[in-house]
Amino acid sequence: MTSVTARLDGIIDEFTDLDSREKLQLLVDFANGLPPLPPDYAARKAADNGRVHECQTPVFLWTEAEGGGARLIAEVAPEAPTVKGFVAILAEAINGRPVAEVAAISDDMLERMGLADVLGMLRARGLRAIVARVKRGFAALPAD
Amino acid sequence: MAAYVHPEVLVSTAWVADHLSDPQVRIVESDEDRALYVQGHIPGAVEIDWMTDLQDPTCRDYIDRAAFEKLCAERGISNDTTVVFYGDKNNWWACYAFWVFKLYGHHSCRIMDGGRKKWELDGRAWSTDRVDYPRTHYTASEQDGSIRALRDEVLKHQKVGKQLLDVRSPEEYRGERMHMPDYPNEGAVRGGHIPGAHNVPWPMNCSDDGTFKSAKELEKLYIKELKMKRRSPTIAYCRIGERSSLTWFVLKYLLGFGNVKNYDGSWLEWGNCVRVPIAKGAEPGGAVTASAAAASIAPSA
Repeated sequence: MTSVTARLDGIIDEFTDLDSREKLQLLVDFANGLPPLPPDYAARKAADNGRVHECQTPVFLWTEAEGGGARLIAEVAPEAPTVKGFVAILAEAINGRPVAEVAAISDDMLERMGLADVLGMLRARGLRAIVARVKRGFAALPAD
Repeated sequence: MAAYVHPEVLVSTAWVADHLSDPQVRIVESDEDRALYVQGHIPGAVEIDWMTDLQDPTCRDYIDRAAFEKLCAERGISNDTTVVFYGDKNNWWACYAFWVFKLYGHHSCRIMDGGRKKWELDGRAWSTDRVDYPRTHYTASEQDGSIRALRDEVLKHQKVGKQLLDVRSPEEYRGERMHMPDYPNEGAVRGGHIPGAHNVPWPMNCSDDGTFKSAKELEKLYIKELKMKRRSPTIAYCRIGERSSLTWFVLKYLLGFGNVKNYDGSWLEWGNCVRVPIAKGAEPGGAVTASAAAASIAPSA
C-alpha cells in the first residue's frame, strides 16, 4: 500500500505533461469515476449536513474514519465537472489510508498538476479551499 | 403583451441548431466550469474563458485591445461575424463575454436564450470534437466607456443618488456573508452594499429552464416594483462584475434602459476601498457608515 502522498504524486504525474485541454479531459474522466452517494447519506444531505458553503456549486463532503482508514464521501453537481473531478482525485488518494496521512497533502498540488494556470486564480482558490476543508475534516476526527 | 425592446440580441436553441455550419456565425461557449466545454459543447462552438482568456493576467483589467484582436483572430472571428454566446449558469458567463465583446465594439453579438441548460433540455447533441478555424484578421475599437463604470464614476453616481443595482445574494448585500471560518478571505475586507443600491439577485432574471423571464415579468420586477426609470443612468455591480453583466444585458437590451453600465470593479474593489461609504442591512440606505472625512474624497472632476 502506498501513502496518500505517493498516490497523489502518481495522479499528479498523469497530469504534468498534458496540454490544457487534455488536463481538463482527465479531470472529466475522474469526475465520471466519482461513485454515487451511498443511500444512507441522502438524508444527511437533505439536512444540509456536509454542505461546503465556500463553493458556488453544491458540494457535499463527509470526512470519516472506517476501521482506522480514512473515507471521503462526496457528492458534486454534474454541472461542475472540475470540482467533481478534483474531489474524486482526493478520494482516490485518501480512501483506505490512515487518517493521519491526509495532513501531508501538499498545498501546491494544483501548481504541480499545471491546473492553476488552466483554471485561473479564482477557480484554483476554490479548489484549494476544498483541500483545506478535507484536511481540516480529517484532522478533527477523534484519534484512535 | 409587452415585448423585449431589443429582441434581436436573443436567439433560440433552434436558431443555433439551424446555423451550426453558417460561416457568418461563430458560436462561443463561456462557462463557470471550463471542463464543461471539454465534456461536450455545441458542435462547432469555440470556447472563450472569462478568466484565462478575457482577463489581463497582471493588471486587474480586461485584456487590452491588441490581445482582444488576437483572441478573435485565433477563434476565427471577423469583424462582421455574428457571435452567439452561450454557457452554464443561466448564461451568466456568456453575458460577461458578450459584454467584453461590446466593450471592444463588436457589432453583432447574440445570446442563445437558455444556454447549456436549454440545449440539454431540448435533447440536442453535444460534441467533443476539437474545433479550429482558420485565423482571421480582426480590428477592435477602443474600449466603449459607455457600458463600463470605474470607481470614481460610481462614487459620483452614488453621491447624487442615481440608480444602482446590487445583484449579489441577499446575504452578501446585507453584509452578513464575507467568508467562512478558517478560510482565507477571498473577497473584501468590509461587507455590505453601496448606499442607495437596490438588491435584485441575478437569478431573478431567469426562469427555471435557463431562459430569460418575459418582458412583462422583468418590467414588473424593475419598473413597477423598484420604480426604476429607463432613462435614468444606471450602474449594476456584484462581486467581480460577472453576475452584473447578466443584469446589464437584461436592462439594456431586454428592457431598453438607455444608459446602463457594469461596474466590474464591484464589491471586490468597493469593499476594499478606504473611506468609501457602505450600507449594512436589507434597506438600500441601510445604516450608512462612512467616516466624516469620506465626504471630502469625492472625485473632483
